[in-house]
Formats: sequence, structure tokens, C-alpha cells
Amino acid sequence: MTAGIQSAVSFPSRRRHVGGRGTRRSRRLHEGRWAALLLSPALAIVICFVFAPIALTIWISFHNWSMLTPITQMPWVGLSNYRTIFDDPVFRSSLLDTLIYVGLVVAVTVPLATLIGMLLYFPRNRLRGFARTVLFATYVIPTVAVAIVWGALYEPSYGPLAEMFKAVGLSAPAFLSSPSTALVSLVAFNIWQMLGYYTVLMVAGLTLIPGELYEVASIDGAGIVRQTFAITLPLLRRTTTFVILIALINAVQVFDPVYLLTQGGPINSTDVISYEIQRTAFEYGLAGQASAMSVSLLVVLAAVAAILIGLMRARSR
Amino acid sequence: MSALGTTSMTDPVAEDRSRTKVPRRRRRPIRLSKVLTSVAIGLVILFPLFPLYWLVISSLKSTHELLQAPPSWFPAHPTISAFKEAFDAVPFAHSFFNSFLYAGTATISVLVTSMMAGYVFSKYHFRGRNVLFWVIVATMFMPPIVTLVPLYWMISRLGLSDSYLGVVLPWLANAFGVFLMRQFIGDLPDELIDAARIDGASELRILWRVVVPLMRPAIVTLGVFSFVYYWNNFLWPLTVLETSSKYPVVLALYQLLSFNMSAQYENVVLAGALVASVPTIIVFLLSQRVFVQGIARVGVKG
Amino acid sequence: MNLISRNRRGWRQCIKPFIAVAVVASGVATTAVIAAPQVGASSPVTITYLTHWGPTQVNMLKADAAAFHKINPNITVNFQAVPFGNLLSTIDTQGPSGNGWTIAGIYDLWLPALVDGGLAVNAPSAVASDVKAHWPTNLVTDVTKNGAVRGYPNEVDLYALNYNKALFKAAGISKPPATWSELVTDAKMLTVPSKGQQGFGVITDWAAGVVHPWLSLVDSDGGSLLTGLKPNLTSRAAMAAANLYAELVKAGSTVATMSTANAETTGPFLDNFTSGKTAMIIMANWWEADLQTSMGSKFSDVGAAPIPIGPNGTKSSSVSYSWLTIVNGKANSAKQAAAWKFLQYLNGPTSGKSGSSGMGDALISMGILPSRLSDVTAHKAQLNSPFLKVYVSELKNASPFPTVLGGEQMTDTLQTAIESIDFGTASAAAAMKSAQSQITSILKSANS
Repeated sequence: MTAGIQSAVSFPSRRRHVGGRGTRRSRRLHEGRWAALLLSPALAIVICFVFAPIALTIWISFHNWSMLTPITQMPWVGLSNYRTIFDDPVFRSSLLDTLIYVGLVVAVTVPLATLIGMLLYFPRNRLRGFARTVLFATYVIPTVAVAIVWGALYEPSYGPLAEMFKAVGLSAPAFLSSPSTALVSLVAFNIWQMLGYYTVLMVAGLTLIPGELYEVASIDGAGIVRQTFAITLPLLRRTTTFVILIALINAVQVFDPVYLLTQGGPINSTDVISYEIQRTAFEYGLAGQASAMSVSLLVVLAAVAAILIGLMRARSR
Repeated sequence: MSALGTTSMTDPVAEDRSRTKVPRRRRRPIRLSKVLTSVAIGLVILFPLFPLYWLVISSLKSTHELLQAPPSWFPAHPTISAFKEAFDAVPFAHSFFNSFLYAGTATISVLVTSMMAGYVFSKYHFRGRNVLFWVIVATMFMPPIVTLVPLYWMISRLGLSDSYLGVVLPWLANAFGVFLMRQFIGDLPDELIDAARIDGASELRILWRVVVPLMRPAIVTLGVFSFVYYWNNFLWPLTVLETSSKYPVVLALYQLLSFNMSAQYENVVLAGALVASVPTIIVFLLSQRVFVQGIARVGVKG
Repeated sequence: MNLISRNRRGWRQCIKPFIAVAVVASGVATTAVIAAPQVGASSPVTITYLTHWGPTQVNMLKADAAAFHKINPNITVNFQAVPFGNLLSTIDTQGPSGNGWTIAGIYDLWLPALVDGGLAVNAPSAVASDVKAHWPTNLVTDVTKNGAVRGYPNEVDLYALNYNKALFKAAGISKPPATWSELVTDAKMLTVPSKGQQGFGVITDWAAGVVHPWLSLVDSDGGSLLTGLKPNLTSRAAMAAANLYAELVKAGSTVATMSTANAETTGPFLDNFTSGKTAMIIMANWWEADLQTSMGSKFSDVGAAPIPIGPNGTKSSSVSYSWLTIVNGKANSAKQAAAWKFLQYLNGPTSGKSGSSGMGDALISMGILPSRLSDVTAHKAQLNSPFLKVYVSELKNASPFPTVLGGEQMTDTLQTAIESIDFGTASAAAAMKSAQSQITSILKSANS
């Protein structure tokens, strides 16, 4: 390998420094400067456009601000915004809606991705590649476009989904038009969009499991089910945790379909936290309260992330 | 690896023996499991395909046909009038150019910054390296809505609202890119880097001549991922931009949605949605193999 | 491999440069952000008019702007059209910098907050006298805040009972209901579950669409939404209206799942009326354009009637609200002056056809009632159409929706309460009681 590199790239030869503390220190200094240089663009952007705004959000959450007045003139209100939002039944219900939404998405998508991953991995079938492509393709389509299509699919009068239900003699569910079905309809939307992405991740995890394990197991007389539970699922655990993490991040950020299709309704049943924050800031002009909501969200997410990442790293040891 | 599936229904040992010793029969009886598998895969294909099918046929329907209840499953008189209307109503053609500019610039910048940062995080050692890395990666969790207001305030105070730079500036680097690059570069053996260093190469040279050529799958993966992500990004350009001539495709589509007076313009809106989806699908199809592998590798290493 | 950590001085020297770079970068950025001067304008002046109107009307305005440009060559008017669902947030985010919109068409409920924030500046005296001279008094009051006229009123909207004459004929009902009890009886007769037909439709998922029709019924029962800053949701009239809805839902005459609206204020509730699945619905005059486009020749089946009167009401009274165009107080003075000049032209009798204003022409094309007195005269014929006639005659009895700080949040809260009655998830009494306490505190904190 080294020879290859040396021949491929011609470096000017220099007199080699023989060991000793002097070399190491100068190399460390040298490394330090390069570390700074190479790291600074990414770091600067992330600090300026991620950390600074987060700090500002936290700062704003202790003030009242309509966004129409200069930021330097905001009146200080301490923890009052936090008290207001936690007293507000609408905010509390938006937390609940978000929890249900994320919970449903993860609980349905991850097992489904696992099953489909196994389906597209183990049995030999000519359609496998095509299936994987089509499944993954839904991830790259703009969410706005997906929302428009699903709005059309969910249409109660001209919609194909309603039609299909009626064709088999069932009464069509109200989809986005009823508080009991609207949130689930949005969950279905998210599943459609993201399933391919998570399936690909699962398949990758499956490739890590040595085939011999299955051969040995089947020689021992274990059937598919037993093999799945004894070999596949346990060895997939690390991938599964990762997919749960990704699915969680993605589900918690849901905004576009709510904004475009339901506007939080009916009866705030789809009022997920990101929509509530946007509405409180931009429609009610209560940026202070919206910021308090954002900070609360961050705290919850940080806790969940810490747990999941801790789990992931523990297992990798 | 084929143990789960077709062979588990029969005695695997006998099956093995029959394969090696006896020449294959020309017609094997069709197994039930194989049929079931094909049906299952068929359903898996139908799931993403049906809405896409609906999108295509709806955009080809006439206004009158669109209002039929029950809906028709294939356009009786396919027409492209909806597409013409979509392009007339909003500056669609120009918005493609804008999207390309925004997404292209962001992608190139993300690749450069992530590569450099990933190199430092995986090949350098300093106190607090891991903490810093995980702090940066933690920002991936943050829902964009949280920083929308202050971020817009910052950009507009810099005089960059409704400008190309204003849209792209926060996009020049991202945490996922740093994460991905660190994973991939971390796979390179340290000896490779050390050998180059011993030979007296500068760090930049090492990056450019040693690391980058070996990073092609990572570059494709991160490149496609970023391009698709920034092409599809809706909320930030919506907040920053004012003039419709600067709108990216997704905003032009949103504008089109506003002209949807009722169900009878749905074909126009859906035609727009179809047109808006084409570029990212093409990019995906072209880079599919490498991209999917790359994403999968991230998950596996994760 | 971590040789560095063994040598603390070495570590510090490694870290120093990158911390330095990071600190300097953020320092520079922060300073730039706080100290950045606002971008000004030079003459000739370019201003931006922000609206939520569709392309047909925007093109009409563009034509007016072009004509204006001929008279005032150094003023150029650009138009920014955003979807209605995004209008308020665009006003809020792009207003304060002064470099965004110069003129915005706003809903009168948003005026108090925009005045507070300095985004709705006082009109110059020439404009103020123009407004006072040519508009009805109640609208002049509507656009006046803190003693100063803030803009030009343009559209005024109110509600009426829309009904399908063909369905009425089929059910053997000769005229639309004039009282609540007639409404309940007619709705029952007009409900045919096998055809998916509901007698009385409501609207959900859109705040004004939920609250205004309901409030119109309250007003027609002699009630009102607020007394000063106190809500009257547990009053006799409000409870009666809530119970009316509950009764209609219970009888099956109102099917809540047929009532959905989307972010553009169209959707299933509209489609169900145009396709003859909803026999009656209370809606505003401006949806005439939507009805005509969707129904074509069948539009002649649509009838309009005053809001049915409640048991304790003496006359029909609909909720009304208006829109106005304001000028951004954060824009520089050259832009503000240009903006007022354009608005004066646009709303004046020379910019439109036959003595109407350009604004009046644009409004009429959408079936919206213009508010300038000379426009009303100029468009008498169109305003006399069978559909609009009812709205025009009911205008004098209308009760304007109260424009107070916190009004948006109040409307959303009331929306939730009414929707829960529509879907049967709460009793009328419980829903109203909860709304009453929430709105009391919302208005209190917004106006403190």
C-alpha cells in the first residue's frame, strides 16, 4: 500500500528527522494548526447558523417579542413564558400529538422496514432490485409534491383510496377530515415517504450477519421463525437502534404535510409541536412563547438522544 | 445466506446433496413459498408505485374528468394541457435554474467542509475531540423550526433577505456531512496518512492526493444526499425569499398550490408536482447503486 | 496514540488556534449582525406590493401599476403574491427589516398588532381626508387606530345562507329558512344519507370558516362575541347557537367529515356544495368566484338568503370583516411616500373603468364587495346580481368582527371549541365553558 502511494504521488524528499521530543512536539503544533484550519469552515458555519440561533432562541424565550419590534427592545419576563405554555391545554395537546405521531411512526416503520428488508434480502427474486429502487425513490421526491399527491389520494369525494374502500363494501374512513383519523393519515404519509430509506439501512445490517449461522441453524432443524428470532433480530440490534434514532429525528421534525394539508386540525388533532411553534410565532406574534416551546422541545430531544446514543455505543463495546 | 426462504421447507442436507450430485432437473415444481414471496414483493412494489401512478394519470386528465366521482383509473382523453397551464401560471422553468444554483452551491460547499472536518475528527487527536464531534452531530436532531426566527432575523440584519446568498449561507456546512465523512475517512488505515506525512507531504496535499481519491463512494453518497436535501428544502427559502423570480422549484410548486381554487385545478397542481419531482428522481436513479450503498454503510457503522 | 494528552502545553497550543478562529468568526458575525446598517433606497423608487390574490387579479393590479408608472416614471411597483396560508407570516417576517414589502393587503384583525409593531404607519393627511370623504363611516373607523387612519379599506365581506334551489325543490321546500327552527326542520328534510347528502354544512380546519358562520347565528339571536375585552361565550345566545349545532349534528343533518377546508380555503366543504351534496351552508360573498368556476351553468341553482334569526333575535345579522392596504412604517420615507401615492391612484376613480377604481374592478372580478362609495355606484349592475344582492342589502345590519390584540389566538381557540361540537367530542356546554376561560386569559394577557 505504502509503495503504491509513494509511486502514485511524488513528494519532494526531505531529510528525515530522527525521533525525540522535539519532533513530536513540532508535529503536534503543526497538526494543531492544520486541525484549526481544516475544521474552521465547518465549525464557523455550524456555530454561526446553528449554535448562535439556538442561543438566541433560548435568550428570546425569557422575553416577550412580537418580532415586529427591534430585538434589543424586548421586555424581560423570566420564566413566565414557560409557565404560560405549560398551562396552555393547546401546547400540552401538541406535545401529546407529537408523541403519538412519533410513536406510531417508529412503531410501524421499523418493524415494517425489518420485514421488508428480510423479504428483499433472503429469497432470491428477480424483482428485488426494482423493488428496492422504487421503495427508495419515494424519499427523494420533494415533500411538497408528496403532500399534494396524498391530499388528492385522501380526497373524500374524488379520491381513489375512498373508492377502494367502497369497492370492497367498507365505508371510507374520513382520512384527513376527522379528528380520529387525521393524525394516523399523516403517519401513513410519513411511512410512505421514508420506508425505502429505512429498509435500505436494514438490508445493510442484514449483510453483516454471516450466512453460516443460518446454515448451521437449519441443519439443527430450526425453521424460518426460529432463525429470525434467534439469529436475525438479535444481530440486527445495532442497526435497529440506529434506524429508530433516524426515524425519531425525522418524525419529530414533521412540518410540511401539517402546514399544507391539515393546518393542525381538525380540533388540533394534527397540531404537532413544530406547527404549534410556527403558529404561535407567526400568527399570534408570540415569539417569546414560541421560543419557550422550542427550548422545551430541545430539552426533551436531548434527553432521548442521549439515551439512544448511549445504548448504541454501549452495544458497540 | 439463502437459508431463510426457499430451502427451509425441505431437508437442507438432502437438498444440498441433490444439487451437487444429481444434474438439475429442467423444470422444478413451483414452490408455494416462492409464489408467496413474489406476491409479497409485488405488494412492496405496489405501495410506493400506486401514488406515483395516480400522480401521473391525474396530471394527464382533463379538468372535467378530474371531478368524476367515482374517479377514473386511467385518463379517458390524456392531455398535456395541465402541464402547459402549470408552466404559464408560475415561473417553473426559471425555478429549476434557481434550485440548481442553490442546491449545487450548497452541495459543493458541504462536500468541501465536511471532508476537511471529517478528516480532522478521524485522523487527528486532541483533547475534547470526541465531545466536540458529538456536540456537532447532536445538532442533527434539532428541528429546523426551532431556529427559524432568529436565523431569519440574523440574515435580514445582514441585508441578505431575499437574496441568493441569504438562502445558501446557512447551508454551507452541515452536521450530517461531518458525521458521514468522519465515518468513511475513519475507515482509511492510519498508516496511509502517516506514510504520506513521513514523506513530508502537507496536510492539504494529503487530503487532496491521498484521502479524496479513496473517498469516491462517500463523495457520491454525501453529494447526492445533500443535493436532494437542499433541492427539496421548503421552509427556509419560503421564509427568506420574496421575489418569485428567485424561487426554487418547491416554492414555485407551493405558489401553484395557491391558485388551486378547487378540485378542478388539481390536475394542474399535480402536473406541477410531477415536474418538480423529476430532477431528484433522475439524480437518484443515476447514482443509485453507490448512493444506496453509501447510506447503508453509514447505518452499519452508525 | 494520544500522545498529545500527555503534554498539556502541547494540547493547549493545538487547541488555541482553532478556538481562536472559532471565536473570531462568531465575534465577527455577531458584530456584523448587530451593527449592520439597513439597506436604503435611492430614487427612482421601487416598492413591493404584497398580496394573496391569484394570478388573474394580480395581473389586473400589474396593469394598474404600469399605467401608474406612465404618470410617475420614477416609481416602479413590484408585486409579491403568496398563498393565503402564508400571508401573515410573510408580513411578520419580511416587514420589520423595511426591505421587504412596502404595501400589504391585510385582514383587519391583524391591524392592531401591526400598528403596535410600527408596521402600519399613519396615512398622510391627503390620504386620510380621501378615505374619510369616500368611504362609509364604519369602515373608516375600522382602519383607524390610535386616532390615525392607517390605510385604504378595500374589500368588505359578510355571510349569508347559501342554499341549493334544486335540492330544495326536490324536497318540496318552497323557500329558505328564516328562523332557526325552520333551519332545523329543513335540514332534516334535506338530509339523504343514501345519497351522501347533508342538510346543513359547516366548515372545519379554517378558523374564520368555523367561527364566522357560527358567530353570525349568535348575532342573529341578539348576542355578541365580546363586551369590551370580555368574551360572552357562556351567554344565552352563544349557548343557544352551540346547542343548535349540537342538535344538527345529533340529527345527522350536519356531517362534520364533509366540512374540511384546506390551507387555501377551498377543499371538500366547497366541493360538496358545488356537487350538490350539501343543501345549505353559511358562507361569505367572495366564494362566488369559486362557485361559478366549479359549477358552471349550475351556478343558477345557488340561492342566497339572510342568516336565519334565532328565537330571541329580532333581525338577521351577519358577521362582517374587511381588508385594507397598509404601508410599512419600517420602509424608508421615499418608499413610504411612493406607496401612498400609488394607493391613492389605485383606489381613486381614475384608475378603473367608467368611474370605478382599479381596486374596485379587481374586487368585483372576484365577486367581492368593494367598499368605496363611488365603486359601489359604478358597479351597481353587478352588485345587483341575484347572489350578491342579498349580501349587499344585509351589509347595513352586519356586526363587524371585533379587532382586538390577541384576536387570532382567540379565533383559533373558539374554532377548537366549535369543532369539538361538530365532531361530537365535547358537549356544547363543556366546549363553550372551556373556550370562555381560555379566551378570557388570552385577551387579558394580550391587552395588558
